[in-house]
Amino acid sequence: MMQAEGTLSRLAIWTITALGLIVIYAPPLYLLGVSFNPALQPGLPHLADLTVKWYLALSGETQLVAALEQSLLIALVTAILATLLALFAALAHMELHQRRTAWFLTVLLPMFVPGVIQGLALSAVFQRAGIKASMLTVIGGHLLWALPFAFIVILTSLSVVKRSYLMAAADLGAGRLRQFLDITLPLIRPGLVSAFIFAFLLSLNEFTRAFYLAGRQNTLPVVLFGKMNAGASPTIYAMSGAIFLVSVLCVALVAGPALLRRRAGPAE
Amino acid sequence: MAISIQIETVTRAFGPVRAVDDVSLEIRAGEFFTLLGSSGCGKSTLLKLIGGFDAPTGGRIAFDGRDMAGIPANRRPVNTVFQSLGLFPHMTVAENVGYGLRLKGLRGAALSARIDSALEMVELGGFGPRDVNLLSGGQRQRVALARALVMEPGILLLDEPLTGLDERLRQQMRDEFGRLHKRTGATFILVTHNQDEALSLSDRMAVMHRGRLEQIDAPARFFEAPANAFVARFVGIDTLLTHQGVIREGDATHALIAGEKVPVRIGGPAEPAESVVALRPDRLLLHPHSEIELKNALALRLKVVETRYRGLHHDVTLAFADGQRVVVSLEADQPVPAPGDLVSVGLKPGGAMLISNAGLPAAA
Ligand SMILES: Nc1ncnc2c1ncn2[C@@H]1O[C@H](COP(=O)(O)OP(=O)(O)OP(=O)(O)O)[C@@H](O)[C@H]1O
Ligand SMILES: [Mg+2]
Repeated sequence: MMQAEGTLSRLAIWTITALGLIVIYAPPLYLLGVSFNPALQPGLPHLADLTVKWYLALSGETQLVAALEQSLLIALVTAILATLLALFAALAHMELHQRRTAWFLTVLLPMFVPGVIQGLALSAVFQRAGIKASMLTVIGGHLLWALPFAFIVILTSLSVVKRSYLMAAADLGAGRLRQFLDITLPLIRPGLVSAFIFAFLLSLNEFTRAFYLAGRQNTLPVVLFGKMNAGASPTIYAMSGAIFLVSVLCVALVAGPALLRRRAGPAE
Repeated sequence: MAISIQIETVTRAFGPVRAVDDVSLEIRAGEFFTLLGSSGCGKSTLLKLIGGFDAPTGGRIAFDGRDMAGIPANRRPVNTVFQSLGLFPHMTVAENVGYGLRLKGLRGAALSARIDSALEMVELGGFGPRDVNLLSGGQRQRVALARALVMEPGILLLDEPLTGLDERLRQQMRDEFGRLHKRTGATFILVTHNQDEALSLSDRMAVMHRGRLEQIDAPARFFEAPANAFVARFVGIDTLLTHQGVIREGDATHALIAGEKVPVRIGGPAEPAESVVALRPDRLLLHPHSEIELKNALALRLKVVETRYRGLHHDVTLAFADGQRVVVSLEADQPVPAPGDLVSVGLKPGGAMLISNAGLPAAA
């Protein structure tokens, strides 16, 4: 009886998990399917009709390509800055004692400010200060958005750096800088890579803030949104599909080695 | 190369808590010194102050007379084997051991020769390329030891390095410490709460209690003349008896316990009113035949309360007329007295000591 109950509850748990995963992944997968459909109307293609012609047509869409270049550049700069700043914020967090929680919440707060409000607020402030909307203003907005996530990722990875490692390094003659370079940095390198990729993807896909802050050259999500409203050409599905595939590839690059390492042996 | 340490009225307060309280101590160059004390008494805190990982809130620490205030851990001639070891998980055994020397600028063949000889010293020859995360507990301890020893420090601090090892490994490592102390000639400070380690290794040791050093002496002195009741208990002299008075007759001193005159040796400058009699279990002899004539003046007449078989011997619990108890062991092949019997107990010289009652719970 116990066993039957076990199987039943396990079945229920798996069913719920599967349903959850379907709800999460079906829409982007549907979009991916649509992008291979030769028809002008969105819909899933028949297996025989699969085509990559919309992907090939992408190179001709100068507006989309320019937006993509702009987005990639913004994401790159945002990711570099967010990773560096988050690293400093996380190191500060490690040094603080009583005010640790206050610092944690301060860095995290921008994550909970709705994008519409933050975008609007920033654009108002920039306008007031006489700063023209440009790539830099978008980067500013995206930094606020990506920083808390990068901070959490790096903070998590810092937990492997035990106080005793740093004490032992000091004991053996290492000053603060050497302790950081020889002990902390190698131990949190995977965290830094994850934080970078996280920040990059968050920036690449961000719409609301970019909508308010972009200058003459819009970012890709903003352009895609505009095209949707103007009556979609199937190329935007191809663009979405391409971004989705690249994102999945990035995540696989981050998570893959970690998964493999776990399988290789019970390393600590 | 060995360095002497002067600790002068050092205090380390964490808010209202004084983890180290007005400690003064001089450790000689090349000495093997042990800090003994129960959990939370401030041993690690004192060690961190010496190593430079923490600064005293009062007092002064000097090495060979040179004040160490303001000199950080990485510039002190001290190396430490931490309680938590702190082996670098992203480095191999050899990289761990060689880390300190690399910082000093050593490279290539000279570096690997030093690493190899340090590993040989702790009997881990050939372990250099291994992953430190995959070593056994005892091997990890020895890597930590090699990592500190390879620096050829003037002072080596060992914070409970044997805790968590099994008994066999403990003994093996303990002997290794003694061997390495002789070989390196450095000043060793060992922190432990295990007295076996302390007794067998130390030139001198200190018993610490609530941030203070209760006694600083050679190991044997803790048994011959414990400074007070706390120290006596700590080293295993469990029988502490209250007395009704102290009688001095010429050279001899007797304490009056429930009508019995017990010859005692004065352990220290203790006020009679604030003293107790400590009985050393190894200096009590039980004569199971009550008919033996008490021609010996050093004998007590006590009543048997209970006996317990302990394998190699019997524990016989005896009581004075006022109910205070003493446990005496009796060889297993001896006849066992019955509860209620009156027996005489011989007291060898130095078996009873009059010591300060400091450190006894108030109820006792
Ligand atoms: N950083 C700190 N902040 C506040 N209190 C501390 C700190 N470090 C130690 N203490 C306190 O100081 C006292 C002594 O601690 P310490 O670590 O020196 O004990 P210990 O003798 O090494 O004990 P153990 O045998 O358990 O290692 C304890 O009461 C502890 O709570
Ligand atoms: Mg400790």
